[in-house]
Amino acid sequence: MKKILPLTRRTFVSGAAAVGLTTVARAQAPADVKVGLIVPLSGLYARPGAVMKMGAELGIADVNAAGGIKALGGAKLQLVALDCGDTVEKAKNAAQRMVAQESDLVAATGSYLSSFTLAVSEVTERAGLPLLTLSYSDLLTDRGFRHLFQTSATAAAQSELGLPELMKLAEAASGKRPKTVAIAMDNTGTSIATAKALKEKLFPKLGLELVMDEVWTPPLADATPLIQKVRATKPDLFLFMPNAVSDAKLGLEKMNEFGFGQGRVPTISFSITIAEPDMLQSVSPEVVQGIMTVVANWGVKGQEKLLADLKAKYKEPWMTQNVVSTYGDMWLIKEALEKSGKADRAAVSEALRTLDAGPAKYYPGGVLKFDEKGRRVGAGVVIVQWQNGIPVTVYPNDLAVAAPFWPKRS
Amino acid sequence: MPMLLRSLAPTLIAAAVYACLALFVTNSYYQLTLTLVLVWASFGLSWNVLSGYTGLVSFGHAAFFGLGAYTTALGQIYFDITPWLLIPAAAVVGGVAGLLVGFPTFRLRGHYFALAMLAYPLALLYVFEWLGYQELTLPIKRDNPFAYMQFSDPRIYTLVALVMLLGIVAITRAVESSRFGMALLAIKQNEAAAEAAGIDTLAWKLRSIALSGAIAGAVGAFYAVVLLVVTPPSVFGMLVSAQALTVSMFGGVGTVWGPLIGAAVLIPVSEILHAELGARIPGIQGVIFGMAIITVILVAPEGVFWKVRDRWMKRRAGAAALPTADVVTLPEHVIPFVAAPVKSTARPERPQGRVLLSVKGLSKSFGGLKAVQNVGFDIHEGMILGIIGPNGAGKTTLFNLLNGFSLPDTGEVLFDGQNMVGRKPHELCQAGVGRTFQVMRPFLRMSVRDNVRVGAYVRAASEDEARSFANDAVERVGLTAVADKVAAELTTKELRLMELARALAGKPWLLLLDETLAGLGHGEAEEVVAVVQRLAREGVTIAIIEHTMQSMVRLVDRFLVLDHGAVLADGDPASVTRNPRVIEAYLGKKWVNRAQA
Repeated sequence: MKKILPLTRRTFVSGAAAVGLTTVARAQAPADVKVGLIVPLSGLYARPGAVMKMGAELGIADVNAAGGIKALGGAKLQLVALDCGDTVEKAKNAAQRMVAQESDLVAATGSYLSSFTLAVSEVTERAGLPLLTLSYSDLLTDRGFRHLFQTSATAAAQSELGLPELMKLAEAASGKRPKTVAIAMDNTGTSIATAKALKEKLFPKLGLELVMDEVWTPPLADATPLIQKVRATKPDLFLFMPNAVSDAKLGLEKMNEFGFGQGRVPTISFSITIAEPDMLQSVSPEVVQGIMTVVANWGVKGQEKLLADLKAKYKEPWMTQNVVSTYGDMWLIKEALEKSGKADRAAVSEALRTLDAGPAKYYPGGVLKFDEKGRRVGAGVVIVQWQNGIPVTVYPNDLAVAAPFWPKRS
Repeated sequence: MPMLLRSLAPTLIAAAVYACLALFVTNSYYQLTLTLVLVWASFGLSWNVLSGYTGLVSFGHAAFFGLGAYTTALGQIYFDITPWLLIPAAAVVGGVAGLLVGFPTFRLRGHYFALAMLAYPLALLYVFEWLGYQELTLPIKRDNPFAYMQFSDPRIYTLVALVMLLGIVAITRAVESSRFGMALLAIKQNEAAAEAAGIDTLAWKLRSIALSGAIAGAVGAFYAVVLLVVTPPSVFGMLVSAQALTVSMFGGVGTVWGPLIGAAVLIPVSEILHAELGARIPGIQGVIFGMAIITVILVAPEGVFWKVRDRWMKRRAGAAALPTADVVTLPEHVIPFVAAPVKSTARPERPQGRVLLSVKGLSKSFGGLKAVQNVGFDIHEGMILGIIGPNGAGKTTLFNLLNGFSLPDTGEVLFDGQNMVGRKPHELCQAGVGRTFQVMRPFLRMSVRDNVRVGAYVRAASEDEARSFANDAVERVGLTAVADKVAAELTTKELRLMELARALAGKPWLLLLDETLAGLGHGEAEEVVAVVQRLAREGVTIAIIEHTMQSMVRLVDRFLVLDHGAVLADGDPASVTRNPRVIEAYLGKKWVNRAQA
């Protein structure tokens, strides 16, 4: 380490000098503006991190192709990717490295898991570096931070926004309002936060009776008892909330075996796990047919070009929240840079706080504006349904690419 | 205390260098790494206090670490208490947790202990998730950051951690050089022998896990302050427990330097690998790191510190080769039986003193096997009793009953008039019964003097007294010349004598010797016999189990012959060795004829 220190510095200084020289030589060309991406690129969460990186790269390419930052003389954006690993400590270390060694970043986005975002934002907040995040945790923006901007609806808000819509959907499709609900979930933070909001506020408000409440610790070893209980209680809605693909697979296959698959018991999830491309590696499209999930963002109508680019460049079959939100973050940073007119983190942060750039194009609902907590004003949710092997957006109507179907119970 | 200061000198110098380094590092990322090195070194030291010294490997130190971290987080969130107070509070929580965990878990040994320890942090992880503490953050204090340990200058974290580490090193050093450390080392080498040397092993182990838990709790509390975010996996996770093991085992187990070296090497290396390769070839850092650890463990299985130290010691010792084991084991069947023993002239007939140990109707069965049946005998003060009998006669079982290592089914063991049945070995030792073991368990890296000192604490009131008792015992067995050698360099005979000295150091009234002559050559056995005779002359009462009849007949005043768990004969050597039943049972029929010829 002691050896690396001067070495890195020297490299850094010579690099900076080189950039300086080229700037002088080219006279007119403005310096690149650096944007950070701090996501898990190794370990357990490497896959979602990699997908976020795809989104960021596409975003940077499109911003630059559209002429870069006009307020800075057409300056190009440049991505600096950092691996925040798979533990809170690694995330904190990576964040510290980001603020210490990438001192010319103007903003950053990250870090998938809310635990990581919590640790990373503790560092970026103290360094005054604006951080955009797609993480859901309410706690993130309950800490009175000034430089953290949450683009997704928070976990509590998501269930409040999503469930009433699902009820309407069910009523419209089947002609009767659901009355009973069953929950089976893992005991991860997201599931527990979502379930708490559901049980304490939403079920009483919507007149839903909870007929089954089961929690498991991942990995789920055998789904038979869970699904047997579903059969016994015959709920109108089944909230199945796994956060691991393997757990999702076990549960859904067992449901199919029992004959409730393909939406015969309307099944709803509250995470993107159940709609990840990885799902199809372990189950057939028939097993997931009709399953719905409420998520903070998804590929929607009007983003066909982006989807085509994603397919062409990275061979991804569809666009998850991780791609769209991170792609949108690049445009949001561009917006803030145009407003601030300088490549400076304090100015960009101030611009994000005061931004009011109209309807959001890459986040569902609301506008490009943040409230005093740093939450995006009017942030909505998207309901996604598996239809013929692809999870497609079915709500809200203006963004839907397909109509939802609600199978009649046999 | 001055000795403690001297032993701390190298650490203080290292700390001063580290502090200077920290002061010059302005990059906050490198500074964070410098802080984390100290955090993990401290955690490694906490693990070392329990596992390094007692040899009871804990896979669950994250339990204490996590409780400490949650104490800080919850204390600050719900009661707005400053970490300056919460860190000591976390130490208390960790210490209490140590006792609660230790009490049931110390019933287990070896792998079972290690695996049981694994369960605690895993259970706590789920408890804290169930309680709804999936994600906690220490509230940011913009007004009075210093009062809440939220330093804007990251160098202060390193300095605070350094002070903490120095405190822990001082505690560890103090433990190492006191009877506490000796007791733990004795437990590590042989728990039974430790008990026999008068060490209340459960009490010392509980003290050790409480201290270890307290340190881990404080370190966990500080870790929460540094990281600012506490989640169950980040403080109770498997990786946390593993971190303590990795730094200690890499650096060296059972020494203060081990965790320091381990943390100083591994934490920066893993961080550099992560920083340099993480975003480019994700995952490769783990592969390289793992391979590096495997290589080091293969090359230096006991850790870097011991490897370097052994090599250095060897070089210092020069070409002087280590004495190889010069044990000449004579097969037992070729030992000639002396048909007509001559009572040793060197040992005059002595008046029989009062009865020191009286055994009455002692029986012990293992299932259907009656290992000891209705055995009774007396040992008078000042005599040497030889307990003999063929293999499987029940000698060792009888010995274990006398020592408190196992409980008799029926019968009494009266020592100095008091029934000792049901007492623990260390209590018997305190009462004045010392013993040696058939299988020697010397503390190989310790000097002869220190080995013997372990046995002295049962009587000694102070460190000085223990030292003087030890020196005295070393002299009595005639090992003064090699007293400063480490035990690893001794011959088998010297090791036997050292075992004897260790038992003597506790000033026993009665000394039970378990096959002290086993594995010795003829001449060597004679020398040991001479020492035992001298001890008897000096007034120590001795009971000795032995196979080698030849040395015994000249040594003992009285024989107790066992066969199939029962007393076959009891009497003076001359009559016992002529007893046809004894000869038959012990040596077979053909000797009966020869003896009577």
